Amino acid sequence: MSRFIIPLLAVCLFFLEPVFSLFSPIDIGGMEYILVPRFVIVYLIFLAVYYNQKRAILLGLILGLLYDMYHIDIIGVYTFLYPLVCYLGALLIRQVHRHIVTVMFLSVILIVLLELLSYFFASLIALTSIHLDEFIVRRLVPTMIANAIFIGMFGWLFKKVMTGRGMQNQAGS
Amino acid sequence: MPRFFSNKRLILLLVGVIVLVALISFSLKDRRNASIPEQIVKDVVGFGQSLFSKPAHYITGTIEKIDGILNTYEENKQLKARLQEYASNQVELADVKAENKRLRELIGKTEDLRAFDPIQATVISRNPDQWEEKVIVDRGSTSGVELDMAVITAKGLVGKVVNVTKTNSTIELLSTENRNFRVAAVIPGETSVFGLIEGYDPDRRELIMKRIDSSFDVKVGMKVESSGLGGIFPKGLYIGEVTEVSTDDYGLTKLAYIRPAADFSMLDHVVIAKRKMEVYKNGTDTESPTEDQGEDES
Repeated sequence: MSRFIIPLLAVCLFFLEPVFSLFSPIDIGGMEYILVPRFVIVYLIFLAVYYNQKRAILLGLILGLLYDMYHIDIIGVYTFLYPLVCYLGALLIRQVHRHIVTVMFLSVILIVLLELLSYFFASLIALTSIHLDEFIVRRLVPTMIANAIFIGMFGWLFKKVMTGRGMQNQAGS
Repeated sequence: MPRFFSNKRLILLLVGVIVLVALISFSLKDRRNASIPEQIVKDVVGFGQSLFSKPAHYITGTIEKIDGILNTYEENKQLKARLQEYASNQVELADVKAENKRLRELIGKTEDLRAFDPIQATVISRNPDQWEEKVIVDRGSTSGVELDMAVITAKGLVGKVVNVTKTNSTIELLSTENRNFRVAAVIPGETSVFGLIEGYDPDRRELIMKRIDSSFDVKVGMKVESSGLGGIFPKGLYIGEVTEVSTDDYGLTKLAYIRPAADFSMLDHVVIAKRKMEVYKNGTDTESPTEDQGEDES
């Protein structure tokens, strides 16, 4: 059972993302704010940092491909972005102390990067016409806040699961 | 400072980028028809998705019910006030319907653009990166869903089907920025005013109805519905209300802003309208790539 806990959690988060996006956009004071749930990538960043970088990239590739095929109908966008973000996450964490708060902070920064890249891609193929300033106010900042709350709530749990698995692996080998 | 990429990794990355660019351009070409592997993935993922979405809908439904109970007294007062009006409307409607049927029989016309078979569907997911306004529902070609069918809620038209697999279909909402999304619309009145709903203004959150003949008199507050002349949509699906009328860029035709009646943000149950009359696949409701090319050239 414990062997499958890591992919299983990733798949659960993959399925939870679109359920949460049903609540978006939210309307505050006549302005529509778009919240993009980025649970999977948060999980993958934690996986890359605390467990195994190669595992994270592989899982990112598979889930990115499923995401592209199921939701976007353009294969290749998240298939590329998910592993890239995992790789960058693992690369950056080597430069700083691996404390839970720094990892959480890093996840938020990487979510911003992912959002920016997906914005550039969307404007490149003309899926959207909103300007950069509007994108930052209406989409990037709300998304950042919402995902920061998610990271604050579940970051501890992810760390616990992954370090637990890492420990079991070491004991087994 | 460590090296970012070793040689082996650099080559791997470059090959990966090339493959992905090829994949992107390949899948961008024909997004409306999923290939067989894509269909299989969509069906399998859709099944898993519905396992998660249905309990979520149940929970939000329960919360809404509790909310409803709390407002019962206020609502009851309002409803009682409207009941009187409702009864007289009901009688009038029955009378008009009977007369309509009799007149139809008189002229020997049995087919009706308005008639449609409703296919009930539950929304299982919304596109999480919300660049496109798309939702996925749990009914597909086995339930009779086809491309470009109209999708409605109790309040009015919400969108149309853009992708169908065996058990799921993807719906593009009216609030899309896609310029190829057109709906043949009509403002019913003594003289019907025809036009096309083309585009959405995200700042005003209103639909734009274009190509209205300038001789027609369009007033603020008029109701807009689908005309059924686009080929696939049935007639008479309520779209919204006119809020502003102006002329288009060239001053030749009129342009009207329409506040949509349906709410696009919290969708749970929708109805896919399969019209009973013969379907014409080359009308404005169809969004074929060849048609777009023709427009660009002209």
